[in-house]
Amino acid sequence: MTQSMTIDPVTLAVVRGALEQITDEMDLNLIRAAISPIISETNDCAHGLYDAETGETIAQGGFGLPLFLASMQWTVQRVIAVARAQGGFKEGDLWFLNDPYISGTHLNDVVLVKPVFVDGELFGLFANTGHWMDMGGSTPGGWAPSATEIHQEGMVIPPLRLFEEGRYNASLIRLITANVRMPEELEGDLAAMINVFEVGRRGLEALIGKYGKATLRACITEMLDRSEREMRSYIAEIPDGTYRVEDWFDNDGVDDAPLKVALAITVAGDDLHFDFTGTAPAARGPMNISDSTTCSMCLVSLKHIFPEVPVNGGAFRPARFTIPKPSILAAAYPSPVGGTTDVTQRVVDVVFGALAQAIPDLVPAAPFGTTGVATVSGRRPESGSYYVAVYPYPGGYGGSRVSDGLVNGTPPSSMARFMSVEMSEHRYPLRFDHYAIREDSSGAGLHRGGCGTSYRITALADCLVTVLGDRVDYVPFGVQGGGPAAPNGVVFTLAGKEWIPPMRSKAERVALTAGDSVSLASPGGGGFGDPLLRDLAAVEDDLNAGLISFAIAEQAYGASIVKAVPHGGRIRYTLERKAH
Amino acid sequence: MTSIVGIDVGGTFTDLYYSADGVSVSRVLKVPSTPDDPSLGLIDALAKAEIAPDGLDLILHGTTIATNAVIERKGAKCALITTKGFRDVLELGRRDRQRVYGLTGTHRPLVPRAQRWEVDERLDHHGNVLTALDESEVRALAETLAQEDVAAVIVAYLHSYANPAHELRTAEILRSVKPEWQVTVSSEVVREYYEFERTSTAAVQGYLQPLVARYAGNLAAKLVQGGYTARTLVMQSNGGLIPLSQLAGRAANIVRSGPAAGVMAAAQLGLEAGFDKIITGDMGGTSYDVAVVVGGVPRIADTTELDFRIPLRLPMIDVHTIGAGGGSIAWIDRGGMLQVGPRSAGAVPGPVCFGRGGTQPTVTDANAVLARINADHPIGLTNIDRLDIAAAREVLDRLGGELGLGIEETALAILTIVNQRMAGRTRLLSVEQGHDPREFALVVFGGAGPLHGAAIMREVGIRTMLLPPFPGVQCALGCAIADIQYDMARTVERRADTLEVGWIAAVLGEQRREGEAKLAASEAAVDRVQVSHVAEMAYIGQIHALRVKIEADWPAARLVEAFHEAYRRENGNTLGDIPAVVVSLRTAVRGERARPPREPSPPVDAPAVPSARRPVWFDGWHDTAIYDRASLLPGQRFAGPAIIEQADTTAVIEPGMAARVDGFGNILVEMAS
Repeated sequence: MTQSMTIDPVTLAVVRGALEQITDEMDLNLIRAAISPIISETNDCAHGLYDAETGETIAQGGFGLPLFLASMQWTVQRVIAVARAQGGFKEGDLWFLNDPYISGTHLNDVVLVKPVFVDGELFGLFANTGHWMDMGGSTPGGWAPSATEIHQEGMVIPPLRLFEEGRYNASLIRLITANVRMPEELEGDLAAMINVFEVGRRGLEALIGKYGKATLRACITEMLDRSEREMRSYIAEIPDGTYRVEDWFDNDGVDDAPLKVALAITVAGDDLHFDFTGTAPAARGPMNISDSTTCSMCLVSLKHIFPEVPVNGGAFRPARFTIPKPSILAAAYPSPVGGTTDVTQRVVDVVFGALAQAIPDLVPAAPFGTTGVATVSGRRPESGSYYVAVYPYPGGYGGSRVSDGLVNGTPPSSMARFMSVEMSEHRYPLRFDHYAIREDSSGAGLHRGGCGTSYRITALADCLVTVLGDRVDYVPFGVQGGGPAAPNGVVFTLAGKEWIPPMRSKAERVALTAGDSVSLASPGGGGFGDPLLRDLAAVEDDLNAGLISFAIAEQAYGASIVKAVPHGGRIRYTLERKAH
Repeated sequence: MTSIVGIDVGGTFTDLYYSADGVSVSRVLKVPSTPDDPSLGLIDALAKAEIAPDGLDLILHGTTIATNAVIERKGAKCALITTKGFRDVLELGRRDRQRVYGLTGTHRPLVPRAQRWEVDERLDHHGNVLTALDESEVRALAETLAQEDVAAVIVAYLHSYANPAHELRTAEILRSVKPEWQVTVSSEVVREYYEFERTSTAAVQGYLQPLVARYAGNLAAKLVQGGYTARTLVMQSNGGLIPLSQLAGRAANIVRSGPAAGVMAAAQLGLEAGFDKIITGDMGGTSYDVAVVVGGVPRIADTTELDFRIPLRLPMIDVHTIGAGGGSIAWIDRGGMLQVGPRSAGAVPGPVCFGRGGTQPTVTDANAVLARINADHPIGLTNIDRLDIAAAREVLDRLGGELGLGIEETALAILTIVNQRMAGRTRLLSVEQGHDPREFALVVFGGAGPLHGAAIMREVGIRTMLLPPFPGVQCALGCAIADIQYDMARTVERRADTLEVGWIAAVLGEQRREGEAKLAASEAAVDRVQVSHVAEMAYIGQIHALRVKIEADWPAARLVEAFHEAYRRENGNTLGDIPAVVVSLRTAVRGERARPPREPSPPVDAPAVPSARRPVWFDGWHDTAIYDRASLLPGQRFAGPAIIEQADTTAVIEPGMAARVDGFGNILVEMAS
């Protein structure tokens, strides 16, 4: 090859490492400095460097959430178009926005885009996103399960210049802080996010000082090309064909009708096409996400299957997307998008479901598939102070060729954890009656799914409970002959009576008084492979550990009892399996 | 004068550091470890060092047996008893997964579900009894368990840190049914909230106790047999020692004590040499460990993940690890880019040049091909006397062919990439902790550290690198210089402005007395007792707390002031009037051993004389001075490129760097001005 500038392989590798180091340091800097606990404690943020012309990701930090893997690139590309229409990027500009139809996810994820100039010339764009605690709207935290338009979810910021050639537009921030519930925190997070660009700029300048602009540019071009090649090499190993899958959401929380997700993945050589034609039109309730989030989640799914592929724009090139708009996977104004936490999980499930047909040894069965956030709010009886407690579902992962599924996994788009029970009881007038592995909730299989998790929370004082989940009517599926997992289960006990909400796992502001409770049971993961091929000793262990009941051991796994010995209030079984 | 020996039993090597007068070094050596019975390697090292058994006062000892038993799941069969409804806490963890990307793989809890039992009892977060302990249920369960081959029983109830009565009563019943059980009570291991982390820590203790008890008994017997009468102390992961006799009860505290010992030694050497802020870089065969030390005090982590979903909530020196070591394998990814690690050739088959069947190029092969390592004097290898350079060149030639690079260029490329990874982690650690890495000195050690320290220092922009006198046995030295330490902690979780006058002093006083009693029981000869107190504090609502150094007699308002200062230092601002919460109160009681200060030796007036010269590749072959470390004397200076050879490691000084020997025998390396 007679490339005008041959890059030696060592410089290339070192430059790639150095660029990733810059964005990693930006991640850590914000995680340390942010006020929002969602940023500092669950890393709900992302930082990257993007090409000024194409908007392609050059490097993105490794500490942010998977959710933002590729959505940042699409956001930046859309901001480039807006900036161009307004005269282009100028030195000292800083753009910001949270319009979810442009920047994806939900209103709480605010994106900043900062052009970097070197010797008066635009070199690239730094961008970051961080979750701000409150953006106004009808409920604290911005999350309204019965919202039917975006305005109930909070304040929309279109792409705007917060700094214009170095001049800070303080009025913009005053306008925003006047409309949110936690203005000081917002200003703190904003300052922290702005400061991070200085970290990025210093790193980039040092790199340019070391290698020169021309070499650095050549390295970036080569790096993206190679990542593209790398991604294509994985795709090329997937047999050509079109792989179709359909799945349904129970409902959108407002209208009780299932919503279809249809996906056809076509592999042709080393090209990949995700076609969501046939997917349900926009939902009236908040079960919608923007197209950029859908694309990003497709790439997140691929990275879960091929963890080694690099994260940059080159690796994103081989994938094309067709997503009907407006639809639940390509939201448009004024659709609410607060259900993003659940809709994003389903994109992973369907990508797995489609690719499991093509590369069965590499793709696990469906994970639990619902983030099922339970939010409890009220006043502490002793102090009268107001609290909001958030419990997002843990659940089981699907079985795979290599192993059973994990229990108590975090959603594939996230790394956020569940609160300690003891910590929760210190903070809120709520008591956990149990927090346990949910028996008989995993999909049966050669490798079974991980079990779901079940917990019951009893109110010690009046409070309001909101839940937003899914996967009651349509459960996580198994692959290669593996069975489905148990459905999501939400049951309230109000004044001694059990009550299942009409939308099953979606309910807004249910009033509990002291002694009332809510039971939550998340799905497990789907099973992988024929359960009759599961090692009998493993079935016996599962039964004796109480992970499956005898009925399942018998019906799904074809086992029968040889011996049953009472043991400390339990029974210890010895099983056999008849040849069939 | 106290004669002491520090011994670090690692996975591959057992290192020994001996000082006949307790101040200066008399001998260091490395022998192969004996994983089947690690005490053999230790006795072997003592014998090889030719130390007269009766002339030895103190044996200070670090070991990886506990770490390995957890990672390899080789601990005892245990039963776990929990509050009704919560037996799965140990397995569930707090919602996570092994790695950011990839949803396969699973988790093996230390106590499987069939061995986890529940009894009726429940406390609230103040420790009030909501459901009384069902003692008959406990007794019935104990009798069931007595029929099984259970070696240890762990009791972990919700909110037991607030009121341990139910746990203690359960333990009593268990012991009455079967006295030979080792019973671990969660509130005695960790007096703090977070049920998963506390249960996990108790499980680790219970899981390890039988094994560690056996080891301690075995070692004590072997020492007696060998005629050693010296007191024996064991290194903990908090950087302090405990007597061998108390080891079993604190089995969880010795996990990962080796890396902690290395950091302790580096902290001490750094202070002596006049460096207030240091970053330690410990590179061995498979990993690179990095830690931050400010003012001689290593940063402490409250919780450390030993393996996926196995957290240990005990104060441990905060050591971060990446998979980069001498055995790290170089490979080419699908995009045609050269990568190094995290896969390692390990000790077996090891690097290609070791000639034990290794076929993949490693970092050590790169160092050998570039003549940075002396092929004629390989370190720590007992069965070969020469490295197979030709074989190493051959695999590098093959690798280089794919990249269009020559053999030496390929070797250098491997070093460049592994050095960048280590430098990157070093930078990230300091950034994470809010420091500017350029203000730090880099103390490098481990068998491979000094080969790479110069490059890491250059990459990170650190001004000075300190090469300790015996980098290859640094952890053994760390054992030798450590003090005896006990940590006490207790969850408070109350707003500072609601604490009654005198309450803080009462809690801290109780912790102090507990620590002093343990210290007295250890019967260790200590010179003086140091007591320090820390409050973990946060703004109300925050989950991450800050450690704030406090005094026992401070009123709550003074605590809040100190918290604001600490918060500003860490984050650059405070959150104004948001109330502060005291999350926990902690006390460390340290028995400092008499340790005469070392006096720096005066500089000599003689130039450093190389013992040899050989061509070494940097940006090409350079005729390079080779120094014998033993011949270098305080005050001597020399310039890079240079190689320093010693029995336990090899150090590289790059072209453009200047080195000098300080009064303590450290070599200080800086960029030549």
